[in-house]
Amino acid sequence: MRDFENTNPIVVTVYFFAVSGICMFVSHPILLALSFFGALGYFISRHGARKVGLHLAMLAFLLTLALINPLVSSAGATQLFFINNSPVTLEATLYGIFASGAVVGVIYWFLSYTEIMTSDKLLYVLSRLSPKLSLVLSMALRYVALLAAQRKKIRQTQIALGLYSDGNIIDRVRGEMRVFSVLVSFALENGIITADSMAARGYGSGRRTSFAIFKFSSRDIFTLALILIFFALTVASMATGALDFEFYPYLSPIKTDLWAVIGYISYGMLVLLPTFAQMEERARWKYLRSKI
Amino acid sequence: MEILKIEDLSFSYPGSESRVLDGASFSLLEGELCVLAGSTGSGKSTLLRLIKRELSPRGEKSGRVIFEGREIEELDAREAASAIGFVMQKPEQQIVCDTVWHELAFGLENLGLSRADIAIRVAEMASYFGIDAWYDKKVSELSGGQKQLLNLASVMVMRPRLLLLDEPTSQLDPIAATEFMHTVRKLVNDLALSVIIVEHRLEEIIPLCDRLVLLDGGRVLKSGSPREVISTLDRDSESIMAMPISARIAHKLGFRGECPISMREGREWLRANCQNFIRSLEAKETESSGELALSFEGVCFRYDKALPDALASLDLEVKVGEIFCVLGGNGSGKSTALGVASGTLKAYSGKVKVFGKKLSDYKNGSLYFECLSLLPQDVQNVFLKNSVKEELEDARADISALPFDISHLLSRHPYDLSGGEQQIVALAKVLARKPRLLLLDEPTKALDAAKKQAFVELLRHLKADGMTILIVTHDVEFAASVADRCALFFRGEAVSCAEPTRFFSDNNFYTTSARRLSRSHYDRVVTEDALLALCRLNGRAEEGAR
Repeated sequence: MRDFENTNPIVVTVYFFAVSGICMFVSHPILLALSFFGALGYFISRHGARKVGLHLAMLAFLLTLALINPLVSSAGATQLFFINNSPVTLEATLYGIFASGAVVGVIYWFLSYTEIMTSDKLLYVLSRLSPKLSLVLSMALRYVALLAAQRKKIRQTQIALGLYSDGNIIDRVRGEMRVFSVLVSFALENGIITADSMAARGYGSGRRTSFAIFKFSSRDIFTLALILIFFALTVASMATGALDFEFYPYLSPIKTDLWAVIGYISYGMLVLLPTFAQMEERARWKYLRSKI
Repeated sequence: MEILKIEDLSFSYPGSESRVLDGASFSLLEGELCVLAGSTGSGKSTLLRLIKRELSPRGEKSGRVIFEGREIEELDAREAASAIGFVMQKPEQQIVCDTVWHELAFGLENLGLSRADIAIRVAEMASYFGIDAWYDKKVSELSGGQKQLLNLASVMVMRPRLLLLDEPTSQLDPIAATEFMHTVRKLVNDLALSVIIVEHRLEEIIPLCDRLVLLDGGRVLKSGSPREVISTLDRDSESIMAMPISARIAHKLGFRGECPISMREGREWLRANCQNFIRSLEAKETESSGELALSFEGVCFRYDKALPDALASLDLEVKVGEIFCVLGGNGSGKSTALGVASGTLKAYSGKVKVFGKKLSDYKNGSLYFECLSLLPQDVQNVFLKNSVKEELEDARADISALPFDISHLLSRHPYDLSGGEQQIVALAKVLARKPRLLLLDEPTKALDAAKKQAFVELLRHLKADGMTILIVTHDVEFAASVADRCALFFRGEAVSCAEPTRFFSDNNFYTTSARRLSRSHYDRVVTEDALLALCRLNGRAEEGAR
């Protein structure tokens, strides 16, 4: 079974940039609400009832942001009440709620994105930009892991030899310096052997190609096409001005003309796309499994 | 068909008068597994690197290396890279990429193959080597043996016709080493691949090889089938020490003629040539004090809350003045026990006492001063300076007080030393702390047969000076010759513990080759020396019959 997170990493990347990018450039309450609930819904669909602590922290963050705006800004025409002789307005309150909702929504989108994009998926996406970059990054990642492990080993060895004292800060810094200097020699020596191993396997013998384990299936192309269509429709709707919205001094009316409705629906579809993909995949799996 | 021919090859490094290779010639047939043996400095690694063009050292070279009828200089770059494969000694350092699949594809990417071709070849090779289960893993998560198999596989995807292996198993434990050797043999059988392997651990590989080439002083001393070569060796030659036990025993008893090589031939030879009126030697009683140097009482340890116990209620006692060997498979908790004893790992339950005092009662590093020292498996981590001299000054070591001589190494960089030399210098640094309890983790891994013998003598000398030594090792032969007592670890517990003669006589599989050779003929013989002594005591079979 392949759900949305297992689609080609390029498609996943395009999706997250499209859905959160729009949310950063509009201030329309409907779109912001769609983005917020879509992001939260997708995150919950991946984790279920777990991660309660994270949600509580996000809620606290959202409430703080939402409360600060009406307290410090008295812009807006509809006054609700006064605190310390400064007016609290309806417009500022709503703006606070929607702006903070937008920020938290984008955070949720990126939480899901970073969970889905493991380092080799990220590497794959970057390698499409430049094959050389992907090799350099792959080697760098390998070296970081190798040196971190080596540093730990050297430290433990020195401790068990009684040659690494961590009694006070100066001793500890001195100890770390010694470990660091030997790590440099280790890296250099290692580098020579790695270079030999690369030459032995034909590195530098001509033009390179670049291999990846991710494929672009017809399903990936279909998903990508859907994302691009919904994205283009939403952007077109933005361009006609149908999704313009002002909080100050008065709330703008929410438009219901054709372009505005196209904008709401296409962004809504974009937001729900991973959920649809998941549902479709599950239904198909159920059907397939019934045949086993 | 002859795949490789070396003609009168001589080589010297720049700025050096002496020739590392001095007119070496031999040839290799297609589909042959050839072992290149010789003592340190005989030029075997240099010879191997001169066959692989990309790795050839700079210097003065004469003579010819002919691969499939052409000199290797004439091959085009991609042909040279793919047709001759090379695997080096240290598994870790040859790996280039961060994931297993990328490492496998690396060579093919360099050759400019299309993505579809790479996918097929990589998939084929991954399933042949059985590494499809860890295809997606990071290379840093693999064990040493897995890393070396990956190195072999990522050379094999390039479809080499000649494979060169430079001490590929010297960093591996015996089980992983055996697996690696058998994989190489399988490749030779399946693909008619030609292989040259440089090794110092010959016991395993000689029964598997087709040709044995002995190098000495840069010349080819002998080349032929292993039986031919071994049968014509001089009785006192150093090379015999590295040969399989059957050949060694026959040689040392002055046997002339066709030498036994495999275990089966060895047993038959023993039955045919040695009497067994006396079936065992008298057991020597070893006395030891009742005092404990180190004790574990119900010690439990795990590396992470979510992981299973690495030590599961371990009970173990090491007495003052003895050499104690801990054996066991990978992941049985041997090295973990050393970590806990040395205070670098903290047990979550149970008591660890060093010289009767709890570990937690040693304050401010007093544990490491004139008390306990740990020499880790990877001795390179002991070194922090740019020369051996600075290392020793750093540790305030007094060279003249050492039971061995390292004065000739003083000006060298510690990383440039051979495995055996590193071991000795690291030991010198450790001994400067004047430990009463010495913990050693796999000390014989990088040592060849002759060096190992010297190391055994050294440990006996330290023991005579009153030191207690706890050794974790995979090397059963070493444990049998040096230990006063041995313990077997299994799933974080010590399951059996006895003096070596009883320990190895009771074990059926986990035992020494001398015991396996003599099981049906003699009782309770676990070391080669004991076996030789018993054979001499009984006399030759023909003499008895007469």
